[in-house]
Amino acid sequence: MFKASKYKDTSAKILFFVCAGLSVVAVFGIIGFILYASVPAFRQIGVFNFLFGTVWAPDLYNNGLASADRVFGILPMIVNSLLVTLGAIAIGGTIGVFTAIFLVFWCPDKLRIRYAGQNKFLQKVVSCINKINLRTIFDQIIKLLAGIPSLVYGFFAIEIIVPMLAAINPEGVGQGLLACFLILAIMILPTITSLTKNALEAVPEQYYEGALAMGNTKAQAVFRVVFPAARSGIISALILGIGRAVGEAMAVIWVCGNRAVFPDGLFSYIRTLTTNIVMEMGYAPLDLHRPALIATGFVLLIIVLIINLSMNLVPKEFKGKRGNKVLSGEKTEIIYRKKGLVPEILKYVSMTLATLVAVILALIVGFILVRGIGGLSWHFLFGRSTNADPTLVPAFAVTGYVILFTLIIALPLGIGAAIYLVEYAKPGSKVVKVLRTFIDTLSGVPSIVFGLFGMIFFGDILGLGYSVLTGSFTMVLVVLPTIIRSTEEALIAVPVSLREASYGLGASKVRTIFKVVLPSAFPGIATAAVLSIGRIIGESAALIFTVGSILTFGGSPLDQGSTLAVLLYTLSVEGLEKDLSYATAAVLLILAFLLNMIVYFIERRVKKRNK
Amino acid sequence: MFHKQKAENTENQTSTLDIFDFSGENAITIKDVDLFYGEFQALKKINMQMPKYKITAMIGPSGCGKSTLIKTLNRMNDLVEGCRVVGEIRIGGLDIYDKRVDLSALRKNVGMVFQKPNPFPMSVYDNITYGPRTFGIKKKSTLDEIVERSLKQAAMWDELKDRLNKSALGLSGGQQQRLCIARALAVGPQILLMDEPTSALDPISTGKIEDLCEELKNDVTIVMVTHNMQQAARISDKTAFFLLGEMIEMGDTEQVFSAPKHPETERYITGRFG
Ligand SMILES: Nc1ncnc2c1ncn2[C@@H]1O[C@H](COP(=O)(O)OP(=O)(O)OP(=O)(O)O)[C@@H](O)[C@H]1O
Ligand SMILES: [Mg+2]
Repeated sequence: MFKASKYKDTSAKILFFVCAGLSVVAVFGIIGFILYASVPAFRQIGVFNFLFGTVWAPDLYNNGLASADRVFGILPMIVNSLLVTLGAIAIGGTIGVFTAIFLVFWCPDKLRIRYAGQNKFLQKVVSCINKINLRTIFDQIIKLLAGIPSLVYGFFAIEIIVPMLAAINPEGVGQGLLACFLILAIMILPTITSLTKNALEAVPEQYYEGALAMGNTKAQAVFRVVFPAARSGIISALILGIGRAVGEAMAVIWVCGNRAVFPDGLFSYIRTLTTNIVMEMGYAPLDLHRPALIATGFVLLIIVLIINLSMNLVPKEFKGKRGNKVLSGEKTEIIYRKKGLVPEILKYVSMTLATLVAVILALIVGFILVRGIGGLSWHFLFGRSTNADPTLVPAFAVTGYVILFTLIIALPLGIGAAIYLVEYAKPGSKVVKVLRTFIDTLSGVPSIVFGLFGMIFFGDILGLGYSVLTGSFTMVLVVLPTIIRSTEEALIAVPVSLREASYGLGASKVRTIFKVVLPSAFPGIATAAVLSIGRIIGESAALIFTVGSILTFGGSPLDQGSTLAVLLYTLSVEGLEKDLSYATAAVLLILAFLLNMIVYFIERRVKKRNK
Repeated sequence: MFHKQKAENTENQTSTLDIFDFSGENAITIKDVDLFYGEFQALKKINMQMPKYKITAMIGPSGCGKSTLIKTLNRMNDLVEGCRVVGEIRIGGLDIYDKRVDLSALRKNVGMVFQKPNPFPMSVYDNITYGPRTFGIKKKSTLDEIVERSLKQAAMWDELKDRLNKSALGLSGGQQQRLCIARALAVGPQILLMDEPTSALDPISTGKIEDLCEELKNDVTIVMVTHNMQQAARISDKTAFFLLGEMIEMGDTEQVFSAPKHPETERYITGRFG
């Protein structure tokens, strides 16, 4: 009996290692298969002509080039992708960083509105407002922004941002470069804000206190001491934001204007690498056009990999964990002595920008809900769907299926990988470093690239075609890093004393993990599952070419269909019915909101329990 | 986070030693034990015997190696990376660092209670049956019996019999610690290791645990680390004094407290009683 349990221990270890190693396989698989499918394009077009060609004319009649030669040059799109990213990071990065500073240092826990009047009702209202925990609400706003599907952002962009820009542009055009800047800036805001917040909170308290002790004002301490100390963490946040902006497809698809040329102004129509793929994949003939689009994805993937790997060049100091370094006396002098008005001004900048973020969210949510809920009818939600009269029923079914299959596969794999990393691997060892790098890399791969990989590997090579299964397998790779990360955090939070107690009773490692550690980590794992569900519901770029985008659904896992988010895409692209688009967007938004609430309540329960 | 080191070595061998025989006079015999954390030597040439069905107290200033020694007795040190034990520790007739010794069987015979109560976040019932289930007991009636017996042994049956299915986290600190003792007793250990079991508790709970220990020594041998001199004097039969990784002296508790042989012991005890 004892020997059997030891045998189980070893085989369990191997099993967990395999789960963890899957990320490595996935990254190589994605790079390899996309390269493999791009080779025909590189061969026939030539790598140089492809990368540096300035004309993209995939159809014989495109761009008026009625010649026998199709031309595939992506340089304008490379330039556009980099340009929109630069704009997005300049705007979104600034707002995000300042918002984080506001949240950490100035956001009051509670509002203190005074009301001296006699009106009973107003008194009640004021006391209610004063009870609200502002900091929590702001945190939730950031999380909600992060949970809103890209397509809803895209929808917001075309419905709100573009008309607004058109109003200020004398030529009356709203689409183009500037619109892309703005919507991408909003998209990457939550990532940058929350990571910057972590970095700021990781700066040792002594820095801040030390600065105050030297006679600094709070603003001076924050901007002259804490902020520089959090530098490397903030830079990492910005790099991550850059990676997301380059790879984003759906938020810009309707507002970029879609012309593959170099821009000549803020309202110039452009096309990015990502939009190129989404726009043309649907009808691209297999011979050369499709490989050329896949090759576009390969170039995008390489750009993103380079960006994300450059993260490793950021010095590690203060990135993440709470350090305990004490400033050397000399340096202290230099830093603390400076005085000036600038920090005070920056303080107000951070307050203003944080308010702006709240306003933007209110705008997005408000506008879509107000217009969308009107279009929601019993029939649209639950009625029979036909091509002429589409309803959400097939989309609900497909989305549910994809969630089910994805989680059934991804949860065990992700949990297994996390168990290996936390319970078995030596912390800081080479194996862990390699695995971490690959998991991070996987999490940085753009959705559209996942979509291409799924289409090539699960769809073409494994022969699953457009189907729920193809989409689910693809989504497994998309959500795996999230599940691993959250589970890891949950496992680490399980007190060592519980493990000791279990070992002390003679329990084996496997038993300890399954009976004591995992149950204690359950809320964290549940959070991971909910986050994954959110990701699946909101995902579009990875699903359009794997699950498909037709309006009906046969009901089998091998059938194609479209998930809610993809349906929003189809409805808007085909301009079927504006009200239905709004209604679908509203449903997506409500779901994102509900999932956020669930995560919030799980986390709150955990916090309470730990007290 | 947790690395099996020596435990892993035992995975490949052929025959296992899992029969402990406690018929001898001493439950534990420690011979020339050195312990290293990497380069650092935390225990130096420790020699001692712990008589059966007695309470042995280990006292000494912080960092002298009491916890380290108590953890070597059920090989919890296996979990510490870079920890190396030299010498011989015999428990129930086996050299427990023999590669063939079955770790689960050792820990079944040598239970442990930790400084901070660490009940699992499960029901009272599941906490107590965790150990027995580890060793393959599945029958509900047997488990019920074990729960009742262990709780009675830990003098908690009356307190808890109506809330067996409630979460153990709802208990008070003192109750939690006694539950942990009951949990350890459930697998029928011969030896109970306790590392400062009352230091996180209030005086009343402490008293209850001390009474419990007196009760328990009819069935088990207890080794207890404590910083509380009164506690050591009150309940232990033997006392061992440690300093900087060495055992300075060990003897009958009365003798150690009234007429310590070693000046360092005297200084420590009078200082702590003072
Ligand atoms: N995991 C470890 N790695 C390295 N050194 C350790 C480790 N655990 C303990 N030590 C060192 O070994 C020595 C003995 O520690 P131990 O915890 O056994 O002392 P103690 O007598 O129990 O002290 P206390 O009364 O404070 O609990 C100390 O110097 C300690 O720093
Ligand atoms: Mg100790």
